[in-house]
Amino acid sequence: MEKVLTDFVKALRNSNVRVSPAETIDAVSVIDSVGYEDKELLKRTLSIVLSKTPDEKDKFNACFDDFFSDEIKQQASVDMDQLSDIKDIDSDLAKKLLEGSQGELMLSIADAAEEAEIREIRYFTQRSVFTRRILEKMGVGKLEDELMQLGSSREDELPSDLEQELRNQLTNLRERVSDYVQQQFLLHGDVSGEQLREQIFKSMNMAQIDRSYLNEVHSLVRKMAKKLANLHSRRKKNFKKGKLDIRKTIRDNWVNQGILFNLSWAYKKVDRPKIYVICDVSGSVGAYARFMLMFLFSLTEVVSKLRGFVFSANLGEVTNDFKDAKLDEAIEKALQKHGGGSTDYGQALTDFVSLCLDEIDNKTTVVILGDARNNFGPEKAHLMKTIKERSKQVFWLNPEGKYRWDTGDSVMTKYSAYCTKVFQCGNIDQLERVVSTLLKTAI
Amino acid sequence: MTDGPKKIIKDITKGFAKHGYICSEQIATAVYLASELEKPILIEGPPGVGKTELANTAALYFKKEMIRLQCYEGLDESKALYEWRYGKQLLYTQILKEQMQEVLEGAKGLKESLDRLMKFEDIFFSEDFLETRPLLEALTSEKGSVLLIDEVDKSDEEFEALLLEILSEFQISIPELGVRKADVKPLVVLTSNNSREIGDALKRRCLHLYIPFPDAKLERQIVQARVPEITESMQIQLVNFVQGIRELDLKKLPAISETIDWAKTVILLNSEELDAKLAEDTLNVLLKHQQDIEVVKKEIPALVSSATETSDGKSLN
Repeated sequence: MEKVLTDFVKALRNSNVRVSPAETIDAVSVIDSVGYEDKELLKRTLSIVLSKTPDEKDKFNACFDDFFSDEIKQQASVDMDQLSDIKDIDSDLAKKLLEGSQGELMLSIADAAEEAEIREIRYFTQRSVFTRRILEKMGVGKLEDELMQLGSSREDELPSDLEQELRNQLTNLRERVSDYVQQQFLLHGDVSGEQLREQIFKSMNMAQIDRSYLNEVHSLVRKMAKKLANLHSRRKKNFKKGKLDIRKTIRDNWVNQGILFNLSWAYKKVDRPKIYVICDVSGSVGAYARFMLMFLFSLTEVVSKLRGFVFSANLGEVTNDFKDAKLDEAIEKALQKHGGGSTDYGQALTDFVSLCLDEIDNKTTVVILGDARNNFGPEKAHLMKTIKERSKQVFWLNPEGKYRWDTGDSVMTKYSAYCTKVFQCGNIDQLERVVSTLLKTAI
Repeated sequence: MTDGPKKIIKDITKGFAKHGYICSEQIATAVYLASELEKPILIEGPPGVGKTELANTAALYFKKEMIRLQCYEGLDESKALYEWRYGKQLLYTQILKEQMQEVLEGAKGLKESLDRLMKFEDIFFSEDFLETRPLLEALTSEKGSVLLIDEVDKSDEEFEALLLEILSEFQISIPELGVRKADVKPLVVLTSNNSREIGDALKRRCLHLYIPFPDAKLERQIVQARVPEITESMQIQLVNFVQGIRELDLKKLPAISETIDWAKTVILLNSEELDAKLAEDTLNVLLKHQQDIEVVKKEIPALVSSATETSDGKSLN
């Protein structure tokens, strides 16, 4: 029975429920006490032991129902002797279907599947291919030919009992093979297709990702933002309020006859960092704007000391709009209010400087997302210089490929002179790298 | 195994009900597994669905002492595990100084003094000066206990790491004294509101129970158990109304505890029937945000009519 459980665990892992070996051992000991008899009880107990988030619980339920649903189909029993034309049929498969037991049939399906290299199945689109391949290996082609012959040689309209029976069995067989493939797919394949999609999304240019995949991409971006924030938030812990560490103080001063001479502090106090993000949502970056905002939104979710601004020409703050809002609404709102117009970096920088320059200090990081296409307007690069001088660092993330910088109305070089670092940031992989650098240096 | 697990689970459900806690099968199964496997149980769910109450009831049911540790940011080992009694330790060194004279009297040379000093019993780090905190207390409790670690998500990540040893081995290492192991393993209940993701290491060591908002049937049972004075029709109407509200898009959805509060309010006001006026007047018991109240106010007539309609249908059956 343990084989069933390990197979089930494998299927679970495949549908993105993370199960550790220790949890599998727990599951074994749980089953020892509750047994396999009551399916509902089994489901409840395993769900408690194996799935550890509400999201995983949903996946668990689906996977459990899928995995333990194999009902064995009844085989119709036909009296072989009554079938007069049995001599016309001599393919192995037909004999197996008519005479063989369920177990034998299952075995030959498994053998054929092995031959068809079912282990290689990865994506749900491959299911029908594998089903056909297995059926072919089992000799369905030959059986079908024979059935054709049977059909053409008959005189009356009605198919003979044998033909009828074989056809029924064949339909059953097809179903069973496709069930088998489905089960194997649960074991070996990338069930949700998530890995495939994630890989593609990560390396695809953000402008080319279809809008209908917005949710998937958002979860990807959020995952990334969360991961990065978690990775770097640890360092904040050392910055907490200074506090007398009595235990350490006494221990250290034990050598001074218990006179508290050297004081020890639990934490050193350091100010928290600030991040300002300015995001271009004008027409020229229209395709990217959505993803830029999505990223900005995800960052506000995980980094607390962050202020977000968007602009086409005039600059507006979106920090509060993004807090406690839903992604779609927040992005729509931001785009409606500020998006689509023609770009004026000069104006945006002027607005930013008059709005927040006083708050920028040597612990502040300023991040600008945009293509630096200024419509040949005044770029006011001296404002960038002011910002650079006051802040700790300025990053510029440009969604366009490097070869396009400084072509046409792009004034990237003028601005990049005053940036600590400039990144090309056209897909999610690049974005992740940039944010990692950002959080490492900003905190 | 003397009793089948099914029977034990049923007993738990009944026993909990006696103490006024109506639990679903899922919850009862989790409690059974926790006591059977002696594993800690991590409970997640929206606020007010009875996570903390579950631990309280478990303590009553298993007739064990309840020890509670409320987590918050900055909670550290000196408040959760143990602490030395520094004041007493300092006094002790003072006494020691006086005693030292007697011990060392007549000793010749440095070596002999040192030998005598070494023989002298040292109790500076010993049980006498150890102040136990909830976690250590739960481990040393002789009759066993129910340890509730409330809102783990509020604590720091470092604290989570601290819990790992206790939760998997039921032991605490005190550097000065060695390892303290529990004689009777406590039943550990951790709760979390998911204000931050709990680490995988911690999750892996726990059973995981998610308590969602209850369905109408369970919620009626809960209201009945908690507020027995309420009339049946009123109770059905209230629950239907609350279930209706949960469908709306609100900042904070009303939980069971709010439903119970509301039922008590209605009893206090001596109301017989749920109508729009009553609902509007008492809405602030149910909802905790002004924006939410405004949203629901618009929906009150529809909610009230559907709540009373379904209750009529039910009572006919």
